[in-house]
Amino acid sequence: MIHCTLPAAWRRRAGIACGAALLAGVPAAFALPMASEGSWMTMADVNSGGEHDIAVNFAVTGRDALGVMATRWTEPVRHDGLHEQHHVRESVGLTYTRLVHRWNLPHAQANLWFVGAAGRARGHGWAGERSFWSPAVMADYETTRLYLGAGLEPKRGDGGLRHDTAWVRAGFSFYEVDYEQVQPWFIVESKRVRYAQTTRHELTPMLRLIHRGLFVEIGRNREGTQFNVMWAY
Amino acid sequence: MTPIRFTPMARRLTGALTLAVAAALPLAALAAEAVQSLKLQVNGMVCSFCAQGIEKRLQALPDAGPIFIDLRNKVVAVEPRAGRSLDAARVASEVREAGYEVVATETVAKTVAQIRTETRAARQER
Repeated sequence: MIHCTLPAAWRRRAGIACGAALLAGVPAAFALPMASEGSWMTMADVNSGGEHDIAVNFAVTGRDALGVMATRWTEPVRHDGLHEQHHVRESVGLTYTRLVHRWNLPHAQANLWFVGAAGRARGHGWAGERSFWSPAVMADYETTRLYLGAGLEPKRGDGGLRHDTAWVRAGFSFYEVDYEQVQPWFIVESKRVRYAQTTRHELTPMLRLIHRGLFVEIGRNREGTQFNVMWAY
Repeated sequence: MTPIRFTPMARRLTGALTLAVAAALPLAALAAEAVQSLKLQVNGMVCSFCAQGIEKRLQALPDAGPIFIDLRNKVVAVEPRAGRSLDAARVASEVREAGYEVVATETVAKTVAQIRTETRAARQER
C-alpha cells in the first residue's frame, strides 16, 4: 500500500480548494488561468445557458500548473432536422496549464497560454462514458486600464463528442487603483460554442471586480446571467 | 470663563509625556534615515494578480519587511526587517522568478511607509 504524505500547509490549501469548488457547484472562462508558483487557483463559471465549469490548479513552477476540471453543459440536439432537444453532458478531467510566453512591457503585459485537458465524459443519449481531450490556446494583453483576450478551446472525444469553444474579450477599467483597492472593469465577451450538431453564440457584457487575488465577473446575455469567479491563494 | 486647573499629578504626567515625545522624534528620524529600502521598476506588473505573486515571493525572504506595490508606476518597494539588510540582487531575482522584468533597482534612505506617503501625495498633486 502506498501512502501519500503531503505537508500540512498543502493539505490545508487542498482542503480549501476542494471546499471552494464544492461551494461553487460546478468550473470556467479564464483571464489568467494560473496563479504564481506555489499557489492554488480556483475558478468557477456558472451560466444560465447551461454551461458550468469548475477548476482547481496548483502552480508547480512559475509557468506550469496541474489541476482538475469538471464541466457540465446542455447540448442542443436536432431530431428529424426540425425538433431540438437538450441533452445534459458532464466531463471530469485533469488539466495541465503552461505559460508559453510572457511579454513584459513598460506599461503592459501579454501572455500566450496552453491549457491541455483529458478525462472522461458522460451524458444523455450516450451508452456509458467516453474519453475526451482538449488542447486549448489562449492569449491576453492587459494594461492597468485595458484588457484584450481570446481563446480557442476545442474539446473532442470518442463517439463524436464535440464541444468547441472560441471566445474574444475586450474591456476597460473605469479608473486606475492602488493594489489595496478594488478595481472595477467593464468587459464584453463574444463566445461561440460548437456542438456535434449545432452552434450557439453569446454576447455578454460584464462587470468585473478585482481585489488582490479575487476576481469576480457578473454578466447578462439573452440566455440569462453569467457569473465567473477566480481566486488565487 | 473658568481657567482649567491641572492637579500636580496631571502636570507631572504631561511633562513626562512631552519629554518622551521630544526625545523620541529625533530617534525616529534617525531610524528612518538608517533604513535602506529598495525600489524596483518592474515591467509587466499591471494587475493585482501579478502584484500578488511578486508580494508572495518577497514576503518569503527572511530579510524582507514591509512591502509597497505601486501598480500605476510599476514600482515595488521593500524595506528590510529591523537590524537586517536586503540583497538587491536577490530581491530582483525573486521578481524575475515571479515572471516579470526588473528594469531598474535603487536603494533609498526611506521607510516603505514614507515611500507610500510620498507616492500618494505626488498623485494628489497631479
